[in-house]
Amino acid sequence: MQNEYAIQTVNLTKTYKSKTPNSGIFNRKTISVNAIDNLNLAIKKGELFGLLGPNGAGKTTLVKILCTLLPPDQGSALVNGFDVAKQQMKVKQSIGTLFSVGERGFFWRLSGYRNLEFFAAINNVPRSNRHQRIMEVLELVGLNDKADLFFQKYSGGMKRKLALARALLADPPILLLDEPTTGLDVTSSRSIRDFIKNDLSKKHGKTVLYTTHYIEEVSQMCDRVAIMNKGKIVALDTPDALKGMAKKGEVADIVVKNMSEAQVNTLRGLEGVTGLAAEVQDSVLGQRRLRVRLENVNSLPMVLDFFFREKIKLVNFRQEEPTLEDAFIELTGAGEGK
Amino acid sequence: MKLTQELDKIYYFMKRDIISFSTYKTNILLSVVSALFGALSYAFWGANASMPSVANLGMPVVTYLLIGLAFNTYLSQSLTLVQRTINPWSLEEVLVSPTGLVTFIVGSSLWGFIWSTLVIVIYLAVGVFAFGVILSVNIIGTIIVVGLGIGTFIGFSMIGAGVLILTKQGDPVTTIITLATNLFGNVLFPITVMPLPLQVISFLVPQYYFFTCIRPMLTGQTIGTILPDLAILGLMCAIILPVGYLAYAWCLKTARKNGTLSWF
Repeated sequence: MQNEYAIQTVNLTKTYKSKTPNSGIFNRKTISVNAIDNLNLAIKKGELFGLLGPNGAGKTTLVKILCTLLPPDQGSALVNGFDVAKQQMKVKQSIGTLFSVGERGFFWRLSGYRNLEFFAAINNVPRSNRHQRIMEVLELVGLNDKADLFFQKYSGGMKRKLALARALLADPPILLLDEPTTGLDVTSSRSIRDFIKNDLSKKHGKTVLYTTHYIEEVSQMCDRVAIMNKGKIVALDTPDALKGMAKKGEVADIVVKNMSEAQVNTLRGLEGVTGLAAEVQDSVLGQRRLRVRLENVNSLPMVLDFFFREKIKLVNFRQEEPTLEDAFIELTGAGEGK
Repeated sequence: MKLTQELDKIYYFMKRDIISFSTYKTNILLSVVSALFGALSYAFWGANASMPSVANLGMPVVTYLLIGLAFNTYLSQSLTLVQRTINPWSLEEVLVSPTGLVTFIVGSSLWGFIWSTLVIVIYLAVGVFAFGVILSVNIIGTIIVVGLGIGTFIGFSMIGAGVLILTKQGDPVTTIITLATNLFGNVLFPITVMPLPLQVISFLVPQYYFFTCIRPMLTGQTIGTILPDLAILGLMCAIILPVGYLAYAWCLKTARKNGTLSWF
């Protein structure tokens, strides 16, 4: 029977061992960190799958295992039906990979075209249609008029697009994209996301594993999203269903003026407040934006009373539907939630 | 794995390196000037040397020195060739492609060899055209000796590169081999000028056999005259090359297992 999954992991585990730093030459101890911890995951063929997690969640480690760069310690992983530990060449022929610092794998003294020519050769793109394929992928990512420019002259967005083009060279059915928009400006990020969603996923039917720590990205574009934390999948569903997980309670989006750090901490400790993310919105005006998660609507008067008592000026107040961000904070304990 | 496909990959590795190298024009010029100045310095010294200890070299001192200098540069290049291919980022990109380790090493090293050969030509040309050095090359013998020398040093280079992949900084193998070559290798002086215990060490290093073999092959002698030394060089190559490959593959595997491949 044809395997319906493009990517499948069963009890996948990867542990890193490292020496403790700054504890003297003779006192260094070996510490173990479970980067991937008994991970079970199944991504269907043609799916645009988001993997969301804070830094250090294990996303990049998972991508590196799936592309055969890292051997797993325990468990198994199948990519396009091939075992990453035993059928490495078959796996490599099935995937295109974009690493989060993908542009560093290019040769800066070569043009975009020459770079792709090299990578096409080592990825077994037949010589007879190599030029045609390079021009195709350059056109797909909108760099065909920049093909002869030295890579070092490319902007950050262009470098990332070329990295995407490289991943597409051999026309693989599966793409592993590790934080493809990290460090890019808003316009470049949107352009790359649109390309992945509309061209790669919808038009060409590629299976895409898209890792990111940007919540809005996966919320907008992915069919399903897994939230990963400390090497484990803590939730896996459609973006809407994940938002629903955070619906147990209320969310208030509040902008306040002249609220101290100590007052933020006091608010966080109030009964009925289940989570709080705070950020400085305008340092000149002394404004903070608070995203307060409440146990239920009955907790709201208590919070408002706190502001009046502490003489904190409310600039804006809005009761909101929980977002994927709320689900993320709740499930990973990220942000400043308690 | 198709041979033509792998040869095609090797060609594109080389093409990449040539294009990249050609953009460093100042570096090319400085390399050529350095080779010329190095050759001239030793040639002037050699052409005017009259030391009794070098009277039994079997060839003029200038010829002895220039061959030693030229091929020492060649071996030094070979020794660091594999290390220079370890750019952690592009290494990862190559390793996720369906390209074998042998293709990667050969492809990444080829241009370095070709450039080193051009530098040798500069050294020898200075000797021939400016100092009247007479070379009579035994082509087959030279190819065999150079092949075994390169094989041996690539073996060392792979061990050094493997150590570098694990330690990230500092490769004792390359340092030790370089020091051993300069002192015990019969490069710029015959080992007979050293005390006997040091001479014994020379017999343990492959560089000694390489330089003992290459000079007769460039000065009109037959393979028969170097056969015992050539056999020892061949034996050393047969041991060091596969050991180097296995060491490199093991270090690479270990770094991948530990997830430290790109930690440079």
